[in-house]
Amino acid sequence: MKITEDIKISDNGFVFNSRTGDSFNLNPFALELMKNIEAEKSFDQIKTEVMEKYDIDDLSFEKDFYEFCALLKHHQIVLQDNPLDFK
Amino acid sequence: MTKLVYEKPVISKITAGIPSKFGLPTRQKFIPDIDGIPVEKIMEEYGSPVFVLSEKTMRNTFAQAKQAFETRYPKVQFAWSYKTNYLNAVCSIFHDQGAWAEVVSAFEFQKALSLGVNGSNILFNGPEKSEEDLKLAIEHNACIHIDHFDELYLLIKVTRELDKKARVAIRINLDAGIYPIWDRFGFNYENGEAWNAINRIMLAEKLDLIGLHTHIGTYIMSANAYAAAASKLANLYMATHRKFDYWLKYIDLGGGFASKNTLKGAYMPGTETCPSFDEYAEAISNALISSEIPHENLPVLFLETGRALIDDAGYLLTTVLANKRSTTGRRTMVIDAGVNLLFTSFWYNLGVYPTRQLSSHLEESTIYGPLCMNIDVIRDAINFPQVKTGEKLVIERVGAYNMTQWMQFITFRPNVVMIDLEGKMHIVRKKENLDTLTSLEQNPKR
Repeated sequence: MKITEDIKISDNGFVFNSRTGDSFNLNPFALELMKNIEAEKSFDQIKTEVMEKYDIDDLSFEKDFYEFCALLKHHQIVLQDNPLDFK
Repeated sequence: MTKLVYEKPVISKITAGIPSKFGLPTRQKFIPDIDGIPVEKIMEEYGSPVFVLSEKTMRNTFAQAKQAFETRYPKVQFAWSYKTNYLNAVCSIFHDQGAWAEVVSAFEFQKALSLGVNGSNILFNGPEKSEEDLKLAIEHNACIHIDHFDELYLLIKVTRELDKKARVAIRINLDAGIYPIWDRFGFNYENGEAWNAINRIMLAEKLDLIGLHTHIGTYIMSANAYAAAASKLANLYMATHRKFDYWLKYIDLGGGFASKNTLKGAYMPGTETCPSFDEYAEAISNALISSEIPHENLPVLFLETGRALIDDAGYLLTTVLANKRSTTGRRTMVIDAGVNLLFTSFWYNLGVYPTRQLSSHLEESTIYGPLCMNIDVIRDAINFPQVKTGEKLVIERVGAYNMTQWMQFITFRPNVVMIDLEGKMHIVRKKENLDTLTSLEQNPKR
């Protein structure tokens, strides 16, 4: 999952998509996740870090993470993974 | 090292449009307890969902209404509208406060009698009164509010057969300057139908005409409409006196006072726009006192308000079952209380609140009930914080109509709990079970 080049993220959680003109707000934890996604960390890596830092179980985080990713995709903030990649 | 508090990641699209004149609330309202009892504790004990009624709120609201009218008009009598909420525990409180019973069916009539209400303190309204119902009402000396000419002639026949007098009033529909005009009940004022009915009743040997009744509508947000209605009834009251040299006993302005709920489509919240009891009382009392009626012959003013007296006292406690995203990315939430329990959700934007301070980050959401039916929507659009499954929520102002218009559909109806003045909880209607329902069924043998 990769954030598209058109996306600009400010330090206070404001997101702007220069291609569509849409803008978004992130809550602080969503901002932290975006930074991790931007850094191209894997889900397992992010999960480990989050569970060390926050009071959350793995299943709840997994559910929230994938819901968040689906929204990022919906808003055209992240690129869809290669659909021909069946690995 | 203690871990940080987790908050679900949220991204919200910024949409341009007309800014809300109210801005965003600085704090999300939450309801941690009802009359001092934590919501969590009530649900632990009585399950989820569960209706909760506050006796304290009921009595306080009644006292406010009573004070508003009694300080402005010399003779006032409330009659509790059974159809609004006819749970025995609820009716008993209003009767204890001095209210008569206002019923619209033989079932409600019998319920009032079973609660010890004297038959002569029952106002029998409604378009559906069978011959048996009329006999029951006559035997108990109730005030029968006649709805149409067929009922009037049936009543004349029944009183002749019984050789007993019936105490009657007529229901009158009229133009009070509001829309819609409720003309399906009673006799019309403007076209002279009501006056004809009065004349016919005055000629009937066995009918004692004692009152005039109207009920101009429901959730009436204009107190002035009541003033218009009261003036028209005062005219008929005086006309009856002039022609028959007879003073009627009462004028009944019915109910229809708005509660503080917000109607769907309303721009301003109901808490800001609905008239207070004082405003209704001021309009009605002024109209009657400034009419032609001499002060010494002023009629008793009957009021049958139901909704405004009990809506605030009722809560529905519910639990979040699931969080979902629609195909448009919209947040949706499923709770365990559906429209089968919340008939009023069809016309109100009911207030749904968490029981504790959650994230200040709100997202526009749709709240669905648990029924496997597309119509089961509790709120189309509400700004709500992120909540986990199992989170307890409180739906407020559900005391009126929901516990009478509810439907046994797909699942059982839940416990109804009342919190008394000492803060003790009582089940006032038990949760249904399979036996409750199947005991009424018969399966033919094949």
